[in-house]
Amino acid sequence: MYRGREGQWAFIFHRVSGLAILFYLLIHVAELAAAMWGPQYSNAILGFFHTPLFRFGLLGVIAAVLYHALNGLRIIFMDFTGWGVKHQAKIWYGVFGVFLVIYIPVLIKIVPEIFRGH
Amino acid sequence: MATRVRTLNDAKAAASNNFELYWWVFMRVSGLLLVFLVLGHIYMQNIAINSAEIDYDYVVSRFSNPTWKIYDIFLLGLTMLHGANGLRYVLDDYIKNLSTRFWVKTILFTLIAAIFVVGSITLWSFSFQEMGDVVRSVQSH
Repeated sequence: MYRGREGQWAFIFHRVSGLAILFYLLIHVAELAAAMWGPQYSNAILGFFHTPLFRFGLLGVIAAVLYHALNGLRIIFMDFTGWGVKHQAKIWYGVFGVFLVIYIPVLIKIVPEIFRGH
Repeated sequence: MATRVRTLNDAKAAASNNFELYWWVFMRVSGLLLVFLVLGHIYMQNIAINSAEIDYDYVVSRFSNPTWKIYDIFLLGLTMLHGANGLRYVLDDYIKNLSTRFWVKTILFTLIAAIFVVGSITLWSFSFQEMGDVVRSVQSH
């Protein structure tokens, strides 16, 4: 057992983010499928997803994808190198470091767009 | 279960059959590809442009472009398989009642398969730009 150390939290975050991404993926594909019925349906549905609530939700999806991707790389390191297993906790903090380095500029770019309303 | 396996040899030993081993390998290979495909997709639709500008015309122009058709079909197929198998691990871990597990899996995998089919049809529904240009020029004569 992990006894609640870093590895267990990494695992729980990976599962929760994975499920959230899958849930969004299914909605996202259905949303784009509306294009088959033509512009009036497609633009109405896309407009619905461009409301501020969904745009903030999308920032959550981007955060989930970014964590899941970086921690997934950590899992691959652990699976194929002894070094990865030995330093897995440190690499998990590295995952958060890289996450912040990428995600903060993403927030700086997108949050003002949401408040400007276009 | 899947997460306690640490190396390829562990996975071989722990896998009850080759089916589980193939999924274990698939999750790593598809995961590595998806890091680039999904982050590239997010970059193109959220960072390179303002995502609120995405409308019908933008979607159709993407779906009509051969490069993005190929990109998107790999994105769709790999995310759906990776997500469905990840969901399978979660359901196997948390739903202990075998009958409940069977029905939850049946319903959710059917839903995922149905949306995958809808997504595939969507990607093939839009003619290639060049093909569309030819059709439009013929119609205008």
